[in-house]
Amino acid sequence: MKLTVNGQQHEVDVEDDMPLLWVLRDELGYTGTKYGCGIAQCGACTVHLDGEAVRSCQVPAAYADGAEIVTIEGLGTPDAPHPVQQAWIETQVAQCGYCQSGQIMQAAWLLETNSAPTDEEIDRVMSGNLCRCGTYPRIRAAVKAAAQKMQEA
Amino acid sequence: MRRTLIALALTVPATLALAAETQLDDTLLPEGSVSEQDGLAAWDRIHEVLSHPRCSNCHVGEDNIPLWTATASGQARDHGMNIHGGDSRIGAEYLPCSSCHLTTDLPNSIPHAPPHAGLDWQLAPLEFQWTGKTSAEICAQLADPDRNGGRDLEGLVEHITHDVSENGFIAWGFAPGAGREPAPYDVQSHLDDFKAWGAAGMPCAPG
Repeated sequence: MKLTVNGQQHEVDVEDDMPLLWVLRDELGYTGTKYGCGIAQCGACTVHLDGEAVRSCQVPAAYADGAEIVTIEGLGTPDAPHPVQQAWIETQVAQCGYCQSGQIMQAAWLLETNSAPTDEEIDRVMSGNLCRCGTYPRIRAAVKAAAQKMQEA
Repeated sequence: MRRTLIALALTVPATLALAAETQLDDTLLPEGSVSEQDGLAAWDRIHEVLSHPRCSNCHVGEDNIPLWTATASGQARDHGMNIHGGDSRIGAEYLPCSSCHLTTDLPNSIPHAPPHAGLDWQLAPLEFQWTGKTSAEICAQLADPDRNGGRDLEGLVEHITHDVSENGFIAWGFAPGAGREPAPYDVQSHLDDFKAWGAAGMPCAPG
């Protein structure tokens, strides 16, 4: 299968039903995307597929053939972080951090589709991304801070 | 974008095999050839299907919140993750159904994973709400073209056969996979019951 990850084209020889998560992590080495539950119950594996936030554990390789994928590695860089990543740092959202790449990818998608989300909208979009450390209040604050940054940019 | 994904999914060989397997007999019965009694019996079986969680959980009301039914207990509850279908009924205002429910004909084989079908996952239109309604209310709803999507009997039958040809939600309800309890009977029996109910004049029991 062929796919583009963070702007770079790849061709991998995998079974049709291999989850995209494993294509990214095991075949291509994009380990920023995390495995949480494997059944789309936690959101840790969220990536963007052709512009939509999806749970990569649920996306068979055949489904992603030809797709444009963005992972946490492609969202921003340490020198030029995405506004959501910048807000995450400034708000010190992460505790253990395991779920945070999925949280950030979901939040980035949210702000692409809704530039000024309310608390209710943030909760409804972000509730599919679980955080066992309970950083939800800081996640909500960081989403709002990122929205502000993106509006000012 | 999503259309592209569907096209990609259709390149999977198993897809074509699945779509080609189901051949339904959709021949309508002559009007009046089925007694009212048999028509009412057919409706009772139709209602068993429509009120089954596999079918009714996405035919919810104006709160736009899909339902889940626990595999072990059979107890219904709101969909987890604070999911809200929005007025769009596809979650467009919040988290789209498609974030987790793919549009693909690949088998549903992983317990507790989000199910998928060959049509874009969605709540049924609000006017097709079944939850909280009696058998008689749903019967009257389905018999009324103003409340069934403008369908006569032929349209209702075509609705089922089209869904199955797309490996859609009706087909999924009878074969949900991954340990989920299927809706009772099977697609052909369900179609036959619709044909019988229609030929009997779409009778609805009072109450």
